[in-house]
Amino acid sequence: MPNLPALLAGDEYLIANDPGGNIGTGPFQLNGFKDAVLTLSANDNCWQGRPFVDSVEIRVHRSIRDQWLDISVGSADLVDVPAEQLRKAHEQRLTVLQSPPVLLLALSVSSSGTLGNPDLRAAIALAVDRGALSNVIFQKQGEVTASLLPGTLTGYSFLFPAERDLNKSHEKHGGLTPPPLTLAAEGGSTMQLAAQRIALNLREAGFNVRVVAAGGAQPADLALRTLPLASSQPRTALESILRGADVQTPVLEQTPDGLFRVEREFLDAHTLIPLLYLPRAYAVGGRVRDLRLSTDGTPLLAGAALQDTP
Amino acid sequence: MNLRQKLLLLLSLTVAVVVLAVAWTVLVRIRLVFEQRDQQETALFVSQFQREFQHRSDEVAAAVDRMAASERVRGMAFELAQSGDPSQYVNEAQTLAQESQLDFLEIVGPDGKIVSSAQWPARFGYPEPAAIQTAATFLKREDLPDGSAVLGIFAVRTLRSGTESELRLVAGKRLDQSFLADLPVVPGMLIGLYSDSMSAAAATSPASFDPKLLIAPAGEVPGADRYQSLIDSARRSGQQTSGILYLNGQRGDSVNATAIPLKDDTGNVLAVLTVAISRENMIEAQQHIRAIAYGVASGGILLAILASLWIAARVSRPIEQLARAAEQVAAGNWETTVPERKRVRGRDEVDVLASGFNHMTAQLAAQRDRLVQSERVAAWRELARRLAHELKNPLFPLQLTVENLVRARELPAAQFDEVFRESTQTLSMEIANLKSIIARFSDFSKMPKPLLERIDAKDIVERARFLYEAAGQNEAKIRFNVELSSEPMPLDADPELLHRALSNLLLNAIDAMTEGGTLTISAEPRDDLVEIRVADTGAGLTPEECERLFTPYYTTKQHGTGLGLAIVQSVVADHAGTIAVESPPEGGAVFVITLPKASEA
Repeated sequence: MPNLPALLAGDEYLIANDPGGNIGTGPFQLNGFKDAVLTLSANDNCWQGRPFVDSVEIRVHRSIRDQWLDISVGSADLVDVPAEQLRKAHEQRLTVLQSPPVLLLALSVSSSGTLGNPDLRAAIALAVDRGALSNVIFQKQGEVTASLLPGTLTGYSFLFPAERDLNKSHEKHGGLTPPPLTLAAEGGSTMQLAAQRIALNLREAGFNVRVVAAGGAQPADLALRTLPLASSQPRTALESILRGADVQTPVLEQTPDGLFRVEREFLDAHTLIPLLYLPRAYAVGGRVRDLRLSTDGTPLLAGAALQDTP
Repeated sequence: MNLRQKLLLLLSLTVAVVVLAVAWTVLVRIRLVFEQRDQQETALFVSQFQREFQHRSDEVAAAVDRMAASERVRGMAFELAQSGDPSQYVNEAQTLAQESQLDFLEIVGPDGKIVSSAQWPARFGYPEPAAIQTAATFLKREDLPDGSAVLGIFAVRTLRSGTESELRLVAGKRLDQSFLADLPVVPGMLIGLYSDSMSAAAATSPASFDPKLLIAPAGEVPGADRYQSLIDSARRSGQQTSGILYLNGQRGDSVNATAIPLKDDTGNVLAVLTVAISRENMIEAQQHIRAIAYGVASGGILLAILASLWIAARVSRPIEQLARAAEQVAAGNWETTVPERKRVRGRDEVDVLASGFNHMTAQLAAQRDRLVQSERVAAWRELARRLAHELKNPLFPLQLTVENLVRARELPAAQFDEVFRESTQTLSMEIANLKSIIARFSDFSKMPKPLLERIDAKDIVERARFLYEAAGQNEAKIRFNVELSSEPMPLDADPELLHRALSNLLLNAIDAMTEGGTLTISAEPRDDLVEIRVADTGAGLTPEECERLFTPYYTTKQHGTGLGLAIVQSVVADHAGTIAVESPPEGGAVFVITLPKASEA
């Protein structure tokens, strides 16, 4: 496999344990998690060299407003900014680092049970209103897509129609009365809202969809999830997305035509419906210097530095 | 049942019926009054409740007014009019609704589409028909993301930020358990809300009643299924409906319930609000009053029975005395009197009756004495007449004989002797005749007491036939016919006296059939009696003769003394029997003697 090193570098293959008790092999090691604070410390033995920042504290379960307040008062140096909050972050004049679209928002469709009928899956794909998701829920920060890879990587994304076609959806639906479907959404309130919107779209197409919590005992018929674009290389990125969609077949095609065919064949099954590409974004504190984002949108903390406060 | 018992029963029944009727009337009237008051109270409570409900509706309208007047919303309307981009406000409704403590809020843009929805944030971009409502407040069934629907009180306010552009706020409060819990209720009042959980789009027709959908502030409504008729009626008619509901079949657990239909602007009944007021206190009061009424009625009836006993005894005692006295008078004790009550004032009918009775018995006794005296005189007169008649016949030949003898004294001795001998013979005969007459009268006066012994009626009859059959057949060609029952006919009687009585009847019968005929003697038992019949085929008797036949010294014969049948009647009476005579118009006479049959033992 020519891309074996890239695969092994993926998060899922992260070697996370060492005899010294610290967890992690990267620039930072996990020290502990206490009082909703995740503490990372600089790894002196990192193969890339010790980072400039000595330690990183990640505070979880804090509202966006509090996080932004922390940035303003200097008690935080880096906070996550969800795509739908980007506009507000700019309005509040926060320093925002924003990646290109690197997160694929997609609807995973079960191919068994009621949705074993490909026409019903096709009807679902045609019924979803991507524009409403992008323009309203994600505040125009996402790119509408019907392809797995963004157009910036492949150039053929426009060949996959992303418009909603309710009439055609009804045709595919064929007047059937399927039993109620369940839709689970991974993530926070915005993902839940997006799931509700999709359920509403599908209701118009004749489906009775109920939004349920993710991780339930019964697997949901539909799942709204985000798949990270792991690489700027189309084939590797496609492979990582397919792997995220539980397709383990390696992508052997190298050319855009080949990748298009792979995508087309996969998407024609309508088991994964691409919806949007979203960026990753972070609000950065005033004392942070030289922070950049990697190709998958994660911050490169190892290269960042903090200016001493007077 | 005697008079006292009848009086007691009548008086007791009368008083009991009256007491029960009065008690029933009072109870019915009390129940009506209570129910009327209960209904009035219920109507008052329902009216107060409706005012409070309207007040809550007004609160919703006021909250929407305040929201519409807020700087934040006005700014939003202005910015929306300027930018035309509603996407930035997609979550605004949730924040605004939370701040205003409203359950529902939809911000609707100028195009009639939802900009932001608090209750269903994903509905942005969809039209909201309720945005064009003009009513101050209205009811609406609001669909929720989970497919259910809830009822709410809504109000719509419009914000104009330009000549054309306008923003509408469709806000409301959920009409659910917490809403019901906030409504003030009086003790004993239970409010409930029945609302279909089906969404407005799915509810094409009213679903059948489901008791689980009737909710109260505390949860389920006890006896919810009992509300079905009331709720169904309100849902069908769209009118407020009231009635009494028995929650578990007991009167004490009944409620005075009112079902108030809650309608949307088109008149469709979206839900039914039930206001139930317990009738427990009223029922308890009624039962208390009923218990008192029953106690009073029972006591009244008991007193009435006691009073009836006293009255019946007081009224019936003199009548009973009168009855006993009348029985004694009937038994022949004519000297019987009843005690007369001495009253200071007035006399009642019973006193008059007692006095009259005593007067009557006194009069009867006096009349009886006079009658006995007159009968005795009449009897003596009759006896004298009969004696004169009987004695006159032999005296006339005696006188003639004596006169002839006096005249014969002047005749020669031989002729005188002849006349003397003939005259003495005549005198002897007539004197003997006189003796016979006197003996018959003596016999009648000296009727002996019967010496009773056990005999059979057959023997008496056979003895009489044996004695007179031959004589009758020889002298008058009379045929004897004897009919005797085969059953024993024992009698406790004096055989000689009975034979004498029967002989008298047979001789009379033979005398009645001078031209011959049939004499029938029969004897047969009739229940506890023995009936002996002597029938002849003679000329018969007139009704008057039948009536007087047993009167002493009455006779239909030329030379009878009139004592024969009187002796027969006396003998029969001495044996506790009766004698009667029948004479059919075609002739003949039948004498019927009935004697008590002796016991077999």
